[in-house]
Amino acid sequence: MALLEVRDLRIEFATPQGPAAILDGVDLSLERGRSLGLVGESGCGKSMTALAIMGLLSEQARVSGTIAFDGEDLLALPEPALCRLRGRRISMIFQEPMTALNPVKTIGRQVAEGLHRHLRLGRTEAEARAARLLDRVGLPGQRFPLSLYPHQLSGGQRQRVMIAAAMACGPDLLIADEPTTALDVTLQAQVLDLIAELVESEGLALLLIAHDLGVVAEMADAVAVMYSGRIVEAGPATAVFGAMAHPYARGLFAAMPKGPGDGTTADRLATIPGQVPDPAGRPLGCAFAPRCSQAQDLCAAEPPVESLSAGHWVRCRYPQRGTATA
Amino acid sequence: MAARGGVMGLIVLGSRSRAFVIGGAISAFFLAIALIALVWTPHSVFEMAIEDRMQGPSWDHLLGTDQFGRDLLSMLMVGASNSIGVAVVAVGVGLAFGLPLGGLAAARRGWIDELVMRFNDFAFAFPALLSAVMITAVFGPGGVNSIIAIGIFNVPVFARVTRGGALVLWQREYVLAARMAGRGNARITLEHILPNIASLLIVQGTIQFALGILAEAGLSYLGLGTQPPLPSWGKMLAEAQTMLYLAPQLAILPGLAIMLTVLGLNLLGDGLRDLLDPRLRQAR
Amino acid sequence: MSVFLAKRALALVATLLIASLAIFLVLEVLPGDPALIVLGTGAQDDTLAALRRQMGLDRPMLERYLVWIADLLRGTLGESYTYGRPVADLIGERVLVSLPLAVMAILLSTAIALPLGVASAARHGRLSDTAIMGFVQLGVAVPNFWFAMLLILLFAVNLGWVPAGGFAGWEEGAGSALLSLLLPAIALALPQAAILARVTRSSVLEVMREDYVRTARAKGLTRGQALWRHGVRNALIPVVTIMGLQFSFLLAGTIIIENVFYLPGLGRLIFQAIAQRDLVVVKDLVVLLAATVILVNFLVDLSYAALDPRLRLGNGG
Repeated sequence: MALLEVRDLRIEFATPQGPAAILDGVDLSLERGRSLGLVGESGCGKSMTALAIMGLLSEQARVSGTIAFDGEDLLALPEPALCRLRGRRISMIFQEPMTALNPVKTIGRQVAEGLHRHLRLGRTEAEARAARLLDRVGLPGQRFPLSLYPHQLSGGQRQRVMIAAAMACGPDLLIADEPTTALDVTLQAQVLDLIAELVESEGLALLLIAHDLGVVAEMADAVAVMYSGRIVEAGPATAVFGAMAHPYARGLFAAMPKGPGDGTTADRLATIPGQVPDPAGRPLGCAFAPRCSQAQDLCAAEPPVESLSAGHWVRCRYPQRGTATA
Repeated sequence: MAARGGVMGLIVLGSRSRAFVIGGAISAFFLAIALIALVWTPHSVFEMAIEDRMQGPSWDHLLGTDQFGRDLLSMLMVGASNSIGVAVVAVGVGLAFGLPLGGLAAARRGWIDELVMRFNDFAFAFPALLSAVMITAVFGPGGVNSIIAIGIFNVPVFARVTRGGALVLWQREYVLAARMAGRGNARITLEHILPNIASLLIVQGTIQFALGILAEAGLSYLGLGTQPPLPSWGKMLAEAQTMLYLAPQLAILPGLAIMLTVLGLNLLGDGLRDLLDPRLRQAR
Repeated sequence: MSVFLAKRALALVATLLIASLAIFLVLEVLPGDPALIVLGTGAQDDTLAALRRQMGLDRPMLERYLVWIADLLRGTLGESYTYGRPVADLIGERVLVSLPLAVMAILLSTAIALPLGVASAARHGRLSDTAIMGFVQLGVAVPNFWFAMLLILLFAVNLGWVPAGGFAGWEEGAGSALLSLLLPAIALALPQAAILARVTRSSVLEVMREDYVRTARAKGLTRGQALWRHGVRNALIPVVTIMGLQFSFLLAGTIIIENVFYLPGLGRLIFQAIAQRDLVVVKDLVVLLAATVILVNFLVDLSYAALDPRLRLGNGG
């Protein structure tokens, strides 16, 4: 049984124009100790998916479907039970290390908070554990005492504090929502390496959310590409990157910078014209059709789900064949 | 947006905010009473009739009479035009001096800006009523002096709001374009800045209006504002207090009038703020 | 920290100087002849001349200002014309009424406003939030002296639980003294509490939207725990600012409220001094009150450093 099994997840918000479905039937599956990369442009619903799993959506959101974690439907769990789960078995790292830490509390307190809450550790014990955790994420105690405040650290260091706090209680699942987007390019690789190394050594499952296919290609065993509230293509990383089938996924791939030294500059990167549609005014049928260079009349009808190879499927009437080129 | 849409636009928009509708209705009611009192009251407020004193409501005196036999309704009506008049002029004084000061500070920056802001800080730390009391101490009590005393403290408020709103606008492309086209500071302020901060000023205006009513009531309660025999809400309360054991009902209506007017204006201001600029909703 | 302190201290001194200068100008220069104001137009020429000498009006303006400031710094205030006593003595007596009154009012309004504001934010959009905000709208709109009269009507006239006014003095025992200050303190506290509750609510709402509160929730804290452990201290910064500003309104409020309750405090002293045109008392008292307000706001500035570690190292300005 998968550790995390999301089925037909729908999130709706009431707007003056009527209900808007932010998520429109999302399916995800993540095995214990494996990693899944969730990719898509900003606004496609990646972060909403993560917050739904955490049970931290705002009260206005109407959620349906199932989110089975270790066999239990999180959507059916009462709030106190969810509180016992959060930070203990499911942890999350957020995008903005500059604002995700409380500016008026020391980093030691913030890392130790989960230890107090879940493991009922006393102050000295929790602090000792917090110091070890900080050491583990590359913030050794001599240079980074527990008494530091977030503003005394750089963005990368703060993200390391976030990671230490998330790892504190030894969770089964780590959700990382664009953990490196706000960091300098040079730091991104370091932080990703740290996450990868922790995931490997602790044997935890990772749900990595990114808008950058390159990050996912490096880190994840499996990939799910999301567009406008739906998964449009998913499968094992090797299969997906070997034969990318959805025109949108191919577009994302083409928009990837090839890294320094290959002469690719920003203006030569392929871009996907147009924007993600507003959830309240999503077109019928394939939501990507208005931006798709391969679109035909039939795309206005609901696109079929086509299985391509073991575990690799695409939601498109005219899936692309052959290796994607960038 | 409503400022450009005119009065009709404002009414259409207004139906979306309950605070605006209720506040607007209350404010309009008291404004109407104040205007009527300028030309007509059921009885003369200067007419005393000791034999009719402290009566309950009757057809002749709808709200009864006070300890001198004066008609309470008439006194409340004149009190309304008095309070509202003082507050309107005080807001006008604040606008007349604060707007140019704030506009100048935003347009020129530098030492003028610094000076205006320091004056602002100082005025904020200084209790307005204390200064009003000080001013009446020197110039003597009276309606005009209370207007000056209240009005002076509206100046830094409007200067601050104008400056704050204008500073943002001076960075906008269309203002930069106008500057490059050689338009002068004054012209740019009139053409581009003022129309865009009008909603801010309207909202602040209603708030200061309400505060002005409260300040006037306080001053005339202390006997430093409007002088007898002209009735004012604050003065009526001061007189009622001496009769608290004999005629407690006299203390109710003037206070209720002050509270409702201020409540109406505050609701109107909140509603206007929500309608004119939803981004400001969290500002307070 | 030291840079932060030095900057604030410098601003403090500058504000105090401007305030004293403004007061001096309004009360001594603007009127033309202060002695004439004190004695009225019907006064004899020789009485006027004597008073002018006593008030030091025969000396140049700058000298008068400097002498006044120097006296203030030494703690020697002027002498009241109407009371025939040193202003310092008058203030010393009356502050024993006004200070406890102000402290009671601040404590009351904080005790009412903070829980209300936080509760209102925690139940954002629900019925209890609307009810609390309704109370706030009323509290802001009620003139405090009228509210005071209503309190007198209910608790003194109808129920007879407390005196309608006056002050027994501390010699009669702290109990009765505090009791006679209770209604005035409530009357002063209500409008302050309403404003403070509103600020607290919006501040807490703002903080609840911060990323770090979400982080706290992600660690398994309940809504309430995240609010109290991570929200309130951050939310306090604007609240403390408003409390500092409110202190000045509170002082102004005592002028009216002490009159409503016939309390022999500083507010009533200044009012009586104005009525009797005792400019020496007015001048010294106003400068003292202004200085208190400015000093309190200075302390508020300093308290930011305690609340926000970013300011402690002096790198936050």
